[in-house]
Amino acid sequence: MGKKLVELLWSTQQRKTWTIILGGLFVASLLIRFISPVPPPHVALSGEPLFSAGPKWFTNSVLTTLIVDIILLVLALSVRFGIKEMPSGLQNLMEAVIEALYGLAESVAGKNAVKFFPWVATIFLFVIISNWSGMIPGVGSIGFYHPVKEHGDEHASLLDSQLAMAGGNLFLAAPESAQAAPASAESEKGKFIPLFRAPSADLNVTFALALATMVMVQIWGVRHLGGNYFNKFFNFRGPNGFMKGINGFVGILELISEVARIIAFGFRLFGNVFAGEIVLATMAFLIAFLLPVPFYVLEVFVGFVQALVFMMLALVFFQMATISHGSHDEHH
Amino acid sequence: MDALGIEWSLLLAQIVNFLLLIVLLRMFLYQPVLNMLNARKERIAQSMKDAERVSAAAREAEQEKAKVLEQARREAQEIRAQATRDAEKIAQEVRGRADLEATDIRMKAQVDAARQIELALADANKQIADLAILATEKLLGRELADKAEQKRFVAEFLADAGSKGK
Repeated sequence: MGKKLVELLWSTQQRKTWTIILGGLFVASLLIRFISPVPPPHVALSGEPLFSAGPKWFTNSVLTTLIVDIILLVLALSVRFGIKEMPSGLQNLMEAVIEALYGLAESVAGKNAVKFFPWVATIFLFVIISNWSGMIPGVGSIGFYHPVKEHGDEHASLLDSQLAMAGGNLFLAAPESAQAAPASAESEKGKFIPLFRAPSADLNVTFALALATMVMVQIWGVRHLGGNYFNKFFNFRGPNGFMKGINGFVGILELISEVARIIAFGFRLFGNVFAGEIVLATMAFLIAFLLPVPFYVLEVFVGFVQALVFMMLALVFFQMATISHGSHDEHH
Repeated sequence: MDALGIEWSLLLAQIVNFLLLIVLLRMFLYQPVLNMLNARKERIAQSMKDAERVSAAAREAEQEKAKVLEQARREAQEIRAQATRDAEKIAQEVRGRADLEATDIRMKAQVDAARQIELALADANKQIADLAILATEKLLGRELADKAEQKRFVAEFLADAGSKGK
C-alpha cells in the first residue's frame, strides 16, 4: 500500500513534478492566510449598484442578467441561422435539450404542451444558465471598492454588518490577527462591490419569474375555463350550510396558496443559489485549494435541479389551472 | 422589501426581460428547432416506410425469382425426361428395325445359300450322272442306247443316295 503510494507520487520525473506542484499549492493555500490575510467572503443579500454615482438600478445582477440574455440569444441565433437537416455540434446539443424539455412538457401537459412549452423552456434555460453563471470563476470575486458613504442606507448597512458577522463567526477558528486584518481592510478600502452576481441569487429576478409564472397560471386558467376558473377561489356551493362554509374556506385557502406559491417560487430558487454561493465562497476562503471541488460539483447539480424544479412546478401549475375542479366527477 | 433588495423597478425590468426572452427564444430557438425535429421525424418515418417497401419488393422479387427458377428446373427436368424417353423409344425402334432387317437379311441369305446349295447339288448330280454314264460306257465299251433313260436312272439313284447321305 505504502509502496504503491510512493510509486504513484514519486516514480517518474513527471510524477515528481506534479506531486511537488500539487503539494506546494496545497501548502501554499494553507499558509497564504498567515502571509497575506484575505478578507472574509463578501456576502450581500441583494444586488448592489455598480457605480456609486451612477444609476441605482444598474446593479451587478442586472449586468449578469444581460450577459445571460446575450448567451441565450447567441445560442439561439447561431442555431437559427446554422440550422441544417443533418445536425452537428451545437445544433445537436440544442436539439437534444429542446427535445428533452418538450418531451417533459408533453408528458405533463399533453396537448397543452405546445402552448406551455415556450414558457417553461425559457424558465429552464434562463434559470440554469443563471445558476451556473454564479460558478464561473470571477463572478462574485472580481469587483471594486466603493468608498463607504456615511449617509448610506441605514437598513442595508445594518443587514450587511449582520451577514459580515456571520462570516466572522466562521472566521473565529483562525488566528486573532487574521480576523482583525480583513475587517480593517474592508473599512480602509471601502465597500467591496462584485462586478457580477448570479441573477438567480437576486430576489428581483426570482420574484420576476415567480410573478410572471403565477400570472400566466391565472391567464391560462381563464382561457381554458372562462369565468369558471374563479370558482375554485369563490366556491360557496354545497348540500348544506356546513359544506358551504367548508367550501368557502377551501376557496380562501386556494387564494392563499396561490400567493404562497409566488413566495415559495421566489425564495426557493434564491435560497438555493444564494446559499450555494456562500458555501463556495466560504470553502474557498477556508482552504482555497481542493476543498471547494466537491462543493462545486454539488452546486452544478443543485443549479440543474433548481432549474428543473422551477420548470416542472410551473408546468404542473399551468396544467392544473386548465383542469376544472368541478369536472373531476365527469372525468373519473 | 427594501431589506431583501426587492425594488419594483428592477422587478418590472426583470419581468419584461423574461417576457422578451420568451418571445425571442420562441422565435429563434424553439420554433426552428421543433420544426426541424418534426420535419426530420417525418422524413425518417417516410424513408423507413420507403425502405420497408423496397425490402418488401426485393423479397417479392426474390420469391418470384425462386419460383421462376423452380419452374425452369422442373421444366428442364421434364424436358430431359421426355428426351430420355424419346431417345429410348427411338433407340428401341431403331434396334427393332435393325433386328428385323438383320433377320430379313439372314433369312434371305439362308434362302440364297439353300438355293445355291441346291443348285450346286443339282449341278453336281448332273455331272455325277454324266460321269457315271461316261464311266459305264467306257467300262462297257459302247454307247448306251437309251441315254435319257440312263440319265434318269442315275439321277434317281443319286437323289436316293443324297437323301440317305443327308
